[in-house]
Amino acid sequence: MIGPSITIKGEVTGEEDLLIQGKVEGTINLKDQEVSVGQSGEVTADVNARVVKIDGKVTGDISGTEKVVISQSGNVRGNIVAPRVTLEDGAIFKGSIDMDPGDSAASKASLTKQQPANSPVPDLDLKSG
Amino acid sequence: MTSIREQPTQLLPALFRHVDEDQRLQVLHLGPACQDTLDFFSSYRCRLQIIDLFAELPVPAEEDTQSGLQDYFRDLLQLNPDTRFDVCLFWDLFNYLPAAALQAFMQVLAPHLADTCLGHAFSVHNPRTEELPLLFGIRDSDCLGVRRRAAPVPGYAPHSQNRLKELLHCFAMERSVLLADRRLELLLRARAAEPARH
Repeated sequence: MIGPSITIKGEVTGEEDLLIQGKVEGTINLKDQEVSVGQSGEVTADVNARVVKIDGKVTGDISGTEKVVISQSGNVRGNIVAPRVTLEDGAIFKGSIDMDPGDSAASKASLTKQQPANSPVPDLDLKSG
Repeated sequence: MTSIREQPTQLLPALFRHVDEDQRLQVLHLGPACQDTLDFFSSYRCRLQIIDLFAELPVPAEEDTQSGLQDYFRDLLQLNPDTRFDVCLFWDLFNYLPAAALQAFMQVLAPHLADTCLGHAFSVHNPRTEELPLLFGIRDSDCLGVRRRAAPVPGYAPHSQNRLKELLHCFAMERSVLLADRRLELLLRARAAEPARH
């Protein structure tokens, strides 16, 4: 754990899970581990981990090989690459999310529904143009 | 937290109807993203660019020139020069941008639209329509999850449909559907993507 009064500048690496309650500037590479940024945590760094959970503030790009979770108190400004991203209600996020479901993409694209004939939606269809 | 209700959508499916399974979709989402939307897009190969412009409203009064407004939006969007969006989800943003701001926003966005870009938005049938501050998510290509915002969004001043057509100069209004609460659902097509007229 990096406590609330601790500031680290540089590269953080290791082979155990990490909870950040203080400040980190630089890069965090814990690719097989879980990184948690606590409510008092402030990270200005690119983060690479298996799982990244954010309750605090992160400015930087985040790569989660398994998943990234931004809780309702989380504030993230950066780009996320992860197969699964959870964004809780109230979370603040500005940036991009790269998703690649692999082979299932084809099924989704082909499953995009056609509008059913008896759809109850429109009261009036105004053709513009 | 307010409850989420489902709202069928007739125009949203058009955005995804022609998505090639090998295509990496670039999506611009102008609003706070919700889990429904992330779950929906997680089934596509895509890059979802999320920028909550609603959180930046109202546009500062000191930005009163077109160049000043364009710089303002350029700074907010911070788009890479090579970004080209295939899909733009505006939700009801147009109701909160004054005419000059909307023109400047479109000017900044135009170079970042793919030729085949489609957009989806909500506006109003009549500019006197009262504000209905909503948050939107995508449950499926033909169904939105809609809930009330906790607080109104500042700067509500919707445009008439004809005025909006003029202001959205990089999009053509391809179809609009009048909804029950006097709102309009809009399907937009990037101008470069307009089919040739014969």
